[in-house]
Amino acid sequence: MQQTEVDISAIVPVGSRRDDLPALLDEYAEGLRQAGVSFEIIVVLDGPREGLMNELAPLMAARSWLRLIELARDFGESAALTAGFSRARGRMFLTLPAYYQVVPADLGKFIEAGCQTDMAIAVRWPRAGSTIESWRRHVFHWLLGFITGQRYRDLGCGVRLLSRDITVEIPLYGERHRFYPTLATNRGFEVREIELAQSSKDDFRGRYRIREYLHRLLDILTLFFLVRFTKKPLRFFGTIGFLISALGVLFVTIVVIQRLFLNVPLADRPALLLSSLMLVLGVQVFALGLLGELIIFTHARELKEYAVRRVIGGDENPVEAPRLDAVDPGPKSG
Amino acid sequence: MPANRLAARSVEVSIVVPLYNEEESVALLYERITAAVSGMGVAYEILFVDDGSTDRTLDVAAGLAARDVCLKVIEFRGNYGQTPAMAAGIDRARGRFIVTMDGDLQNDPADIPLMVAELTDSYDMVVGWRRNRQDKLITRKVPSWIANRLIGWVTGVPIKDNGCSLKVYRASVIKQVPLYSEMHRFIPAMASIAGARVREVPVRHHARQFGESKYGLSRVYKVLLDLASIKTITSFAQRPLVWFGLLALPFALCSLILFIAAFLPLLGDSQAPSLPFAGTAVLLGALSLFLLMGGALGELIYTTGDIDMSRYSGITAVTFRERRSQPRDEAEIAQTAQED
Repeated sequence: MQQTEVDISAIVPVGSRRDDLPALLDEYAEGLRQAGVSFEIIVVLDGPREGLMNELAPLMAARSWLRLIELARDFGESAALTAGFSRARGRMFLTLPAYYQVVPADLGKFIEAGCQTDMAIAVRWPRAGSTIESWRRHVFHWLLGFITGQRYRDLGCGVRLLSRDITVEIPLYGERHRFYPTLATNRGFEVREIELAQSSKDDFRGRYRIREYLHRLLDILTLFFLVRFTKKPLRFFGTIGFLISALGVLFVTIVVIQRLFLNVPLADRPALLLSSLMLVLGVQVFALGLLGELIIFTHARELKEYAVRRVIGGDENPVEAPRLDAVDPGPKSG
Repeated sequence: MPANRLAARSVEVSIVVPLYNEEESVALLYERITAAVSGMGVAYEILFVDDGSTDRTLDVAAGLAARDVCLKVIEFRGNYGQTPAMAAGIDRARGRFIVTMDGDLQNDPADIPLMVAELTDSYDMVVGWRRNRQDKLITRKVPSWIANRLIGWVTGVPIKDNGCSLKVYRASVIKQVPLYSEMHRFIPAMASIAGARVREVPVRHHARQFGESKYGLSRVYKVLLDLASIKTITSFAQRPLVWFGLLALPFALCSLILFIAAFLPLLGDSQAPSLPFAGTAVLLGALSLFLLMGGALGELIYTTGDIDMSRYSGITAVTFRERRSQPRDEAEIAQTAQED
């Protein structure tokens, strides 16, 4: 079991929110066993948790599929997932939450439907929860869809099936795990949503405080910039800067015309200062955009804008028949 | 050199064609290119780059590639745009000369031999000029005419037709030009940083036979913003401080004039300086300082980046030397070398 490759590496990042882990892990294992795949489950403890370690370590004796990783301090879910990915031996990666979100017995169904694509994410459906909760979710996903042009229904669900390529190509940090499907689609990977029944033990209440909302909003803003303007910063900064400057110029003109022709005195008018401030701010934002362009230009060689799935033909790699997976023997062949 | 590289033929001309949903055109395009290029009597390769087509473009192209080793198809994982598609083809091209063209049959491959011949004489880059453009007047030709004038004026590379994809490059030059975003429109300007000499020749242009135009002229403001970045990159990439200093200069001058205007009343009978003038002067002064600092930051970015301008001057120097010592047509030289 040490060096052999397995079909699925399930990675369970454990943060502050968790249910009865030993029971949950056994249920996950049972679900995977029923799916008929060889698997391992890697539990990543996000920061040292003395009690939990003592609880989980004895389990390893009887369960050869279980592996434990403990991070030196609390790094967040993205970092925990990355630590798991880098030690996983499976051909496909499955991320699972450390609490009940879906029915573990459905994992087989999920894997079967998901292995045809680069990335599959679970959608808990039908969904329990209050009306407010449902509205909050709708607004979040609608906003994200509006900004990135991609509609997802349940990004909060931690059940995802991914190919190894994705984890290599899109590094996770901060809160990016939440937007993994969006980032993957943006890089040209195929992402599919698969409906799974919500676990009856999925108990999620009162966790969203004001701070959480603010974080989500900032995350969306970051994502907006990452997805839309990374390669053309001036399109972003330039448009904003130009609009602010144009407004500033307009106001200055109005104020000056009033002074010259209508004899409105300038000295006691804050409008003049405000409008010239806007002009100055606009130019500054524009200049930031130019600096951004310079950054992109000087790093253009490292930022590969495209991803090649495979190369067909030519005298180095002749083809026998069309539709041959010559370069990318990924999950698609299955 | 690895063995498989040795086994591969050496190639004179590489033809790079980005394809996006061109299932009707692919086969005909392949035939026309082959007919045109095989008549040149040099080794060639055709690179079709499938930019995430949703129709049968890839299957048709792969079918053609199975029969002809001269054709290579690069499949993208998604749709990334025309410039990345060209960049992918150029990265993988092995020829000494690289031809790029559209996949919609509006360019005529029969122009390729003539353009390559022009290139080998004394230029690094030959661009096509669609003299009799077969497109709609108001929606395509007029905006394009204005854009071309503007691009020529700002970049200092006066080309009548930047939008024409049919271009021939010396591989050593184009492989050094960073291609990203929607930069394909500005390749001549970018290449001119490397000291490339550009020639423009009239080419044939056909009306669209199949499908709709996919890569239309972008909206005006996008071109304008791209122009601003190109100007920054091309003329001042080496000395950002100078470029930002030039930007700061008018604001600094205005600030100075306003300062003088503000304190002028003190010479007369007034007790206090003019407040609106003084305030605006301080603001504009702050702005010019900000821009200067931005320039300093630009210097930092440039130093840590991996674009080395000395590499560009190196290429140009090599090209010069080749030209001095080898006055003959380069295609001729290549042929004699093969015969030896």
